[in-house]
Amino acid sequence: MKKKHRKKLHIGGNIILFVVALLVFVPLVWLIVSSFKTDADVIKYPPAFLPEQWVLTQYKYVSEAIPVFSMLKNTVVFAGSVTIVSLIIDSLAAFAFARMEFRGKKVLFTVILMTMMVPFQIIMIPLYIEEYKLGILDTLLGLILPRASGAYGIYMLTSFFSRIPKSIEEAARIDGLNNFQIYHKIVIPLSKPALITLGIYHFMNNWNDLLYPMILTNSVENRTLSAGLAILVGSNSIKYGPTLAATVISIMPLLLLFLFGQRFFIEGTATGGDKE
Amino acid sequence: MKKQGKIKVKYQNTAYLFILPSMLILTVFVFVPLIAAFVISFLNMDLYMSDISLAGFDNFIKMFHDERMWGATKNTLIFTFAEVPLQVGVALLITMLMQRNTKFHKFLRASFYIPYVCSMTAISILWSMLLNSNSGMLAYLLKKIGVVMPNLLSDAHYAMAVVILVTVWRNFGYTLTILTAATLDIPNSLYEAADLDGATGWKKFIYITIPSIKQTIGFCIVTTFILAFQAFDQIYVLTGGGPQHKTETLVSYIYDRGFRTEHDLGYASAISVYLFIIIAVITIVMRRYLNREEQK
Repeated sequence: MKKKHRKKLHIGGNIILFVVALLVFVPLVWLIVSSFKTDADVIKYPPAFLPEQWVLTQYKYVSEAIPVFSMLKNTVVFAGSVTIVSLIIDSLAAFAFARMEFRGKKVLFTVILMTMMVPFQIIMIPLYIEEYKLGILDTLLGLILPRASGAYGIYMLTSFFSRIPKSIEEAARIDGLNNFQIYHKIVIPLSKPALITLGIYHFMNNWNDLLYPMILTNSVENRTLSAGLAILVGSNSIKYGPTLAATVISIMPLLLLFLFGQRFFIEGTATGGDKE
Repeated sequence: MKKQGKIKVKYQNTAYLFILPSMLILTVFVFVPLIAAFVISFLNMDLYMSDISLAGFDNFIKMFHDERMWGATKNTLIFTFAEVPLQVGVALLITMLMQRNTKFHKFLRASFYIPYVCSMTAISILWSMLLNSNSGMLAYLLKKIGVVMPNLLSDAHYAMAVVILVTVWRNFGYTLTILTAATLDIPNSLYEAADLDGATGWKKFIYITIPSIKQTIGFCIVTTFILAFQAFDQIYVLTGGGPQHKTETLVSYIYDRGFRTEHDLGYASAISVYLFIIIAVITIVMRRYLNREEQK
């Protein structure tokens, strides 16, 4: 009796999973296949799921209507630079917090951790004014600099670096390596997985960010993909078909990265849960 | 460098060189703006930064008489208190259904993470197209079974619900990943003991899994809560805060008053300070509660 009951539950569970999987997949697949439709297919009524003819018309339109490829370039430069620069700066700070002793260490670390409680939304107005005064508003530099270091990266790397056994470091010191050489030749190579995971986390978050690039840039040439897209859709200035194509262009790079480096995305998220 | 008696702590001044770049960035782009946010909230100041004058508490007094501000507060609360339990609840339900670490379950888990890889902007554009009541797929399918779908996003009764559901659709995979990682850490011996007692899958989940991952569930609730309080992207794309400000959250309102319509930075800053205080209080209270639970 009990076994039968259990089997029923098991089947019921799988049905729910199947429905959820459909709910996740169907809209995404629809978005991607629809971007290859002809104009007639896009507005066809009754709507068809698959294109009758697979064409690149919508991609051609969107590249003519908006500077979508320069937005793509901006997004790559912005997300890529933030990732690389913040990994360097945060790992340097984390090395000091994890492996060195200095006055004020505890206080400084606590203060840095507290900045995790300050969301961008709170400081966006002063940041806007500051960038205006510094003359870096509406530039890629102005997008990269405020994100060049962050509490989360410092925190995560400090806890990772602390776990490297002291003996390795002592052996290196006997060999005459100084602090920077230990950082550069020992700690960094040993931390590659953590750095990749954190790097993916930064890359994804900055790639997908909307409000931040929207506030700090205002010319079309300097916009990132999400900011450019959101504003165009909001102002109804591009048509349905090209919007589909532009949306696909904006998500494809990360989806491809996810396909190949899935482990690092999932790990980055899963280790987030250990933060406490 | 002095040796301080028996204590073997050797201070290394080079450490300051290591932390210097990050302290510079954090000072210029976090600490200074945070203090400035408070200062600006006491000023009359617009986007063009001309005619700056002291406002005293005027911005705050104005805020308490501003119906749109109270509406935005209410909407933020509705959004948060509906979205957070739904997101964590859906993730928990799926965690329960996928307790075995089979290949199929691994595949599903990765699949459920895909919407989270896409930006909220892209996901919101996707759903606003699917939900379009004139030409959208969903409207057509519903019509076939005799249901006329209203234009959900411009309907005051449904708009907020759609915003919440789209958010859950994109984010549940994120929570699921965190919860799954925690359940995989539970020692198998606990489940084996339950097997001997003849416990079913459901019972095992309630009496073993949930208590073992209580900390992680708490963590998910706190982080999702803080993020929900700052919701902006999906609202900007899906509804623009409408219809009749029915989906306008505090961040949408700050953006609108500061950067889009009135360009009133002083007033927008006052609302930011108010939002910051709410978030800080909630974070502290929730952390306290979680820590107390931990000590039990």
